[in-house]
Amino acid sequence: MSGTMVALLGFAAMLLLIAARAPIGLSMLLVGAAGYSYLSSGVAFFSYMKTNSYHQFANYTLSVIPLFILMGALAERAGIAGALFKAAERAFGNRRGGLAMAVIGACTAFGAICGSSVATTATFGRAALPEMLKYRYDGGFATGTIAVGGTLGILIPPSVILVVYAITTEQNIAKLFQAALIPGLLAAAFYCITIAVVVRRNPDLAPLNEKIQVEPAQQPIWPKYLAAGIVALVAFGFFKGSLSGGLALGLVAMAALIAFIDVTVMPAILIALVVVGGIYGGIFTPTEGAAVGAITMLVVALAGGKLGLSDIKEALLQTAETSGMIFIILLGAEVFGAFLSLSRLPTTAADMIGGSGLSPYLVLIGMLAFYILLGAVMDELAMILITLPVFFPVVQALDFGMSPDDVAIWFGILVLIVVGIGLTAPPIGLNVFVISAVARSVPIAATYRGVLPFLMADILRLVLVLAIPGTALWLVRVLN
Amino acid sequence: MSEPALPVEAGGQNALGINSIERVTSKIAVIGGLLALAVAILVTTSVLMRWLFNAPIDGDFEFVKIATAIAIFAYLPYTQARRGNIVVDTFTGWLSPRGNAVLDAFWDIVYALSAVFCTYALYTGTMEAMRSGETTMQRQLLVWPGIGICAILCGVLALTAFISARNLLSSHAKGSRS
Repeated sequence: MSGTMVALLGFAAMLLLIAARAPIGLSMLLVGAAGYSYLSSGVAFFSYMKTNSYHQFANYTLSVIPLFILMGALAERAGIAGALFKAAERAFGNRRGGLAMAVIGACTAFGAICGSSVATTATFGRAALPEMLKYRYDGGFATGTIAVGGTLGILIPPSVILVVYAITTEQNIAKLFQAALIPGLLAAAFYCITIAVVVRRNPDLAPLNEKIQVEPAQQPIWPKYLAAGIVALVAFGFFKGSLSGGLALGLVAMAALIAFIDVTVMPAILIALVVVGGIYGGIFTPTEGAAVGAITMLVVALAGGKLGLSDIKEALLQTAETSGMIFIILLGAEVFGAFLSLSRLPTTAADMIGGSGLSPYLVLIGMLAFYILLGAVMDELAMILITLPVFFPVVQALDFGMSPDDVAIWFGILVLIVVGIGLTAPPIGLNVFVISAVARSVPIAATYRGVLPFLMADILRLVLVLAIPGTALWLVRVLN
Repeated sequence: MSEPALPVEAGGQNALGINSIERVTSKIAVIGGLLALAVAILVTTSVLMRWLFNAPIDGDFEFVKIATAIAIFAYLPYTQARRGNIVVDTFTGWLSPRGNAVLDAFWDIVYALSAVFCTYALYTGTMEAMRSGETTMQRQLLVWPGIGICAILCGVLALTAFISARNLLSSHAKGSRS
């Protein structure tokens, strides 16, 4: 039997196991083990496992995952999301659909300190949903907005999904984080436009009967934000010789001013600044950034008096459960990937598709369409881990008129966008499940209806990033 | 799903309250979490020292590697006790609750056996590293204690999976809850 045949059988067997309710990580591990032993030998597999299960985890880069999750788990309990939402509510609240826009705005900021979409969704389900329902927003519109806003947790760097992509494809995490920023901000802008359009067509979704009052109203704030932006630009220009230094200084100046204006969002801005500014500015690596971020978050939350010992314990346990679930899939994917390399399926597929004369864009669009379909019914993390060992070499073999490194980063951002779609698309969207667990009064079908217009905005953004790779790559070029 | 598990409050569905296996594994998981926190403090200190005095802590990443592996192995039993591993239940919805429980218990046992295999592999790896006296490159830390601790934790994982299979079967044998 040829290696390719064995690999295809392996895929089929793995899908069967998954359908038969075997945990996804275990399915990959079992099939990977069987395939590896068949293609080499049982003895070889044993000696591979002897140290691999340790060295797979004793990996410097992997420490990012639990630490970013811990940072999000602490943020969830430190009242940071609530403060961000209140600030955004003051800014947008009294326009039609304003509370929904406030959710998107606050999720965008929260995304810069949290790398997980589930944590973001759950947090805003608690911080924003009661307020939206109080002002008689339509239930499905409100939960749909929060489910979609939650994806900003991964779309805005730091992002656990991008870390996993970077580790599997051996790409630079810092560059991926840089590349994700503009498409992430585009997502937020598109969501706000979607809200504006939806509430214009159906005003009942977001009534404007009562004036929304948020204590303490500090007005006006927009001119000051503008001033902050100008100062930041000046600082940036001043340090043009050292771009990263200038950018870091500009961010500091801007944050200092914004914090001066609205003290309630200071903790969030401070942490986002330390983490994102530090990584973009080259002061530390993303791996170090996760550690610095978690500690900064802990210190800021403790200083604010918002965090007790039991909160910390809960955050540690949540980190443990989430990380444990991710790492079992990572271990399974590692063994399955080793089996696939032995079968030479990835190189065979890359040669075949590369030499087929198909348009590179056609192949890429085919892959993304496949991801959207698969993501609708499958766990997104497992989906990318199963497919990347085959898809990534294929993409690298295609000629898009860019360097392979640029293609790798661009493809990573495209994958991130389709993962975001999969998180909210019916019938299986994890974010929708999470918000439904919080909002028991809203039927899950209503949430899916609320999500639909946003999915159109997602597809539009996907097409945009696909057509203009510069949306992802421009910032990477500027910062390096 | 970028990550997992439902938020904390959605997790406590266990009608019997927190069972003992969850209590024990949660203690191990918290220790793993504290280890990760300790590593984060070490790295932050190193970054600050490098930034301020250009004097980072040499080889800090070697501590990070060892601690990360141990922390992860400390998390796995808790994830299992909480049934936090991702399962696709789309195709088995037609089975009775008891049928699903038996299926889950079956996979728990397979998981446990896999963990036994990994424990044995790690144990062999520990012995080899101990005999060769292998150390890390920069700080000359011995490698075998790290692998050894992971082997023990992997054994705990196997035990946890066996117990959760037994719990599933016994609670459904009585027909108590679905």
